[in-house]
Amino acid sequence: MADMARMGMILRRLARSAGRSGDDRLLDGARAPRSPAAPDPLAELLRAAAAPARPGELDGEQAALAAFREARRAGVPAARPRRRRLTAGVVLWLAGLTATATAGVALAAAGLDAPDESVPPPAPGTVAPMPTGAPTASTGVPGPPDSTAGTSTGDPTTPSSGVPSPTSTNPASPSPVPEATTNLRSGDAGHCKAYLSKPARQREKALASPGFADLVAAAGGAENVSAYCRELLAETDPNWLAKHGAEEDSTAGG
Amino acid sequence: MERERQGHDRDELSQAVQAAQAGDEQAFRLLYRGLQPGLLRYLTALVGADAEDVASETWLQVARDLPNFTGGEFRAWVVTIGRNRAMDHLRRQRRRPTLSVPVEELTEVPGAADTAEHAGESLGTEAALAMIASLPPREAEAVLLRAVIGLDAESAGRVLGRRAGAVRTAAHRGLRRLALLLEQRAGHVESPDGVVPRPRTGRSSQASRTEPVDG
Repeated sequence: MADMARMGMILRRLARSAGRSGDDRLLDGARAPRSPAAPDPLAELLRAAAAPARPGELDGEQAALAAFREARRAGVPAARPRRRRLTAGVVLWLAGLTATATAGVALAAAGLDAPDESVPPPAPGTVAPMPTGAPTASTGVPGPPDSTAGTSTGDPTTPSSGVPSPTSTNPASPSPVPEATTNLRSGDAGHCKAYLSKPARQREKALASPGFADLVAAAGGAENVSAYCRELLAETDPNWLAKHGAEEDSTAGG
Repeated sequence: MERERQGHDRDELSQAVQAAQAGDEQAFRLLYRGLQPGLLRYLTALVGADAEDVASETWLQVARDLPNFTGGEFRAWVVTIGRNRAMDHLRRQRRRPTLSVPVEELTEVPGAADTAEHAGESLGTEAALAMIASLPPREAEAVLLRAVIGLDAESAGRVLGRRAGAVRTAAHRGLRRLALLLEQRAGHVESPDGVVPRPRTGRSSQASRTEPVDG
């Protein structure tokens, strides 16, 4: 059986706890199989909102996987991947999806970090210790372009805690360490891959977003990002570049 | 038995998480595919057209911090990262207003194509999300976390830093408001070609988002 389908089902089923109220039945039902009963418009709305992935929604997959690989290269030499049943099937699953262009539903939600709850919560309880503390520091800092030649606080691949330093842990890797050479910051590799993985038309927009501010600064300007990234990846991850970099030539340019 | 099956599902999910932690790229891919659509929709309600960028940042961090994930509700963990990213994003945007999203992008509101997405369905995904996002922020978040991400009220509460009861209340109000919107929509739209009356999205401002729906 298709593993991806299973995973989808699992995630959906997990959503359904024993209905505590009409609200819960509605909310949980959004991800459940459609009931044969007369359609309730509200239930239909929630179901539509929770519909399976639409084309475009998974566009960032390559970038996410690149980040995953990058993090592993920089971090612990993980144990051998367990194969298990977590394999194929995804294609079939994806093939069954509906085809609609997804122009992001643009709903700027300005009011969100409203006065009384502006600060991300300290997550009481047991669930997620890390994300609450760590996230603000790293990629977001539109830091100064100078003086950050080596590792900086904004280095996105340097784990904020818990992972051994990237230097001596992974003998198998081509030991990049371009940190101190030119202005190349190996920490930008993740962002570079994210950038280069984007369709050409999205790149410009991406560079305008604050998340890439560090990268633009490191490259010395938006127009240099492509070149910078290619140079950086040529050092740190030539394989990736070979696979993805080719497209770059045709799309960037003038 | 429902409970048992849930336990089983949780096991499978946590196995996938563990496999990813052990370096299994395929497992990470599955997690991405399972979570990204809901995450993106949630983030869209928070930051509009920048949601894709915020989602990329989120996955960068998820990939990086995965070794640190110690258990618990993985989806809540990912969504918490995403939400923090979104808040950072909004703060930065306020500091640098020049980088705001072009108006054209904000007005890419669901149209006929989306509405007709599923033949049998009254409402397309995009339009449904637009309606939810037109709710007051807290209600929108509660509904999205519960229905679209699939968190229970407790986990959603942890993501939001609020009590489960508060999440339930917000979700309840949101649902009532949505029901009202649907009624209005049903009342106003008679012709089949008259798409959904544009929900108050996109250009709606802070002010209009926080006021209750009139009527």
